[in-house]
Amino acid sequence: MVLTPDFDSRPIISFQHVWKTYPTGTEALRDINLVVPEGDFLFLVGPSGAGKSTLVRLLIREEKPTKGKIFVEGIELGRMKRRQLPHYRRKVGLVFQDFKLLPNLTIYENVAFALRVLGEPDDLVQSRVADALDTVGLSGKELTYPANLSGGEQQRVAIARALVHAPRFIIADEPTGNLDPATAWEIMQLFLRINARGATVVMATHNREIVDLLRRRVVAIDAGQIARDDRSGRYHDEVTKPQIRAQ
Amino acid sequence: MMKLRNLKFALNSAWQSFWRNLAVSLAAVLSITLILILAGVNLLVGHAFSQVVDGFRLKVSEISINVADGTPLQAIYDFQDQLKADPRVASVKFITKEQALLDFQADPNNAVFAQQIDGNPLDAKLEVRVFELKDVAAIDLLGRRWAGVDPTDPTNYQGDFVNRMLELSSWLGLAGILLMAILVVVSVVIVMNTIRTAVYHRRKEIEVMKLVGATEWFVRGPFVIEGIMTGLIAAAIALSLLVIAYQPAVERFHSDLVFIPLSYDPTFISSLARDLLIGGALLGALGSYIGVRRYVRI
Ligand SMILES: Nc1ncnc2c1ncn2[C@@H]1O[C@H](COP(=O)(O)OP(=O)(O)OP(=O)(O)O)[C@@H](O)[C@H]1O
Ligand SMILES: [Mg+2]
Repeated sequence: MVLTPDFDSRPIISFQHVWKTYPTGTEALRDINLVVPEGDFLFLVGPSGAGKSTLVRLLIREEKPTKGKIFVEGIELGRMKRRQLPHYRRKVGLVFQDFKLLPNLTIYENVAFALRVLGEPDDLVQSRVADALDTVGLSGKELTYPANLSGGEQQRVAIARALVHAPRFIIADEPTGNLDPATAWEIMQLFLRINARGATVVMATHNREIVDLLRRRVVAIDAGQIARDDRSGRYHDEVTKPQIRAQ
Repeated sequence: MMKLRNLKFALNSAWQSFWRNLAVSLAAVLSITLILILAGVNLLVGHAFSQVVDGFRLKVSEISINVADGTPLQAIYDFQDQLKADPRVASVKFITKEQALLDFQADPNNAVFAQQIDGNPLDAKLEVRVFELKDVAAIDLLGRRWAGVDPTDPTNYQGDFVNRMLELSSWLGLAGILLMAILVVVSVVIVMNTIRTAVYHRRKEIEVMKLVGATEWFVRGPFVIEGIMTGLIAAAIALSLLVIAYQPAVERFHSDLVFIPLSYDPTFISSLARDLLIGGALLGALGSYIGVRRYVRI
């Protein structure tokens, strides 16, 4: 049974009967229906191989659904032309488990990169990058290279890069997967702050403590299907979990 | 303004990529250099040969119709007028017996022979120049049918030889074009391959560019520039080598193949430079264009 929370604000993302079957035959997603209102903070949880990353890849149009439709801000992703794709991705901030920083660029240049590819003028790049680095608490590290930073700091750089073009929503795939609990918590605070400023956040995660602590919306995926959609959820289903253990 | 910034980024990026994959870049430059040298030699030989053929063409587009002794002067003038009126004929010149002898004696090649001849065994002749080589045969026929022609030695027309020479030159031209086509295909494949390597080395950067919303051509641009750069560097090297080697090579072959009037033509160097540089840039652009269309997708 799928619950669709009835929020007042308009949906920024909606999945309508979305199926994804990879060419290998793997049915990664099966009949996904999901509405994400603007300003939402949503955890995607579920066991390995459940289809969380597939959902993320569909959301940034790296993959197309096999069946069904995905709307973002009223535009159907499947109908978007290849030419429009970059413009769509500029509205999205992406953060990954492996940071995806460029090792041969300084911290400043890594963050500036997101603006350079848009052809923004230097003075604008400078002030925006300074703001973003300030937000993630890395002012002063501009000239350092990624290799000289801790994992948590590298993830902050990645977040700064995701923020620098002021995206409407942030998609993060296991952003704390490589970090120790204390650092993970710091990174999560950062996402909360970004969300508080108005950005919609969709985050796939395995971090049970944080999910259970924050009690935000939790969408649990299991074997490609939405198993649960709680407005203020936990990592594990409170009702069924003990039952499964009892069996 | 924005376009200029993008160009700066692309140039920077291409330059970095060129140096980062120095081994592959150099291999590509060397291969393209060799190919362009071949192409340049092809052009130079083609040019030299076309000079030879042009000279030859000029020579054979003229035919002498020998006049039998005792033909009345008026008959010769009439025939000359008839030839002049022919649209295929460019000019007709009447050479008298005396003039023919003088010309014969003036040629140093004939010096010994000229001293031994008694009287004037030479015919008066009409030297006819046609506009188009293919019309020589028709004029030859006209001359042979004329009443005043010397029946023992009517004309100096060499028939088939002319046509065979022309045929050979067009075959050589075709072979040159074919060779060029093969060279183009080979270099395009080489550039494509370099681009593939460069794309592979930059795959992380490309992925990041894609994620932050770079347009497809923003990502592809640096690779196309890298291709053009490869082509231009190769063209510059090939050109310098050819310019250095051109004159000595011509002199060398000139003494070996005296019968072919090969010559050093410094004016051809500027057109060779233009062809090689444009050719190199185009090859680089084409190879990398096909390469990015194939390997860089967003
Ligand atoms: N490119 C692909 N080609 C074929 N099958 C794929 C591809 N990507 C993922 N899959 C399969 O689809 C299913 C869902 O994978 P997905 O990566 O979405 O899971 P996940 O929930 O993100 O897992 P994890 O928590 O381990 O990251 C898995 O069975 C996986 O093997
Ligand atoms: Mg995953």
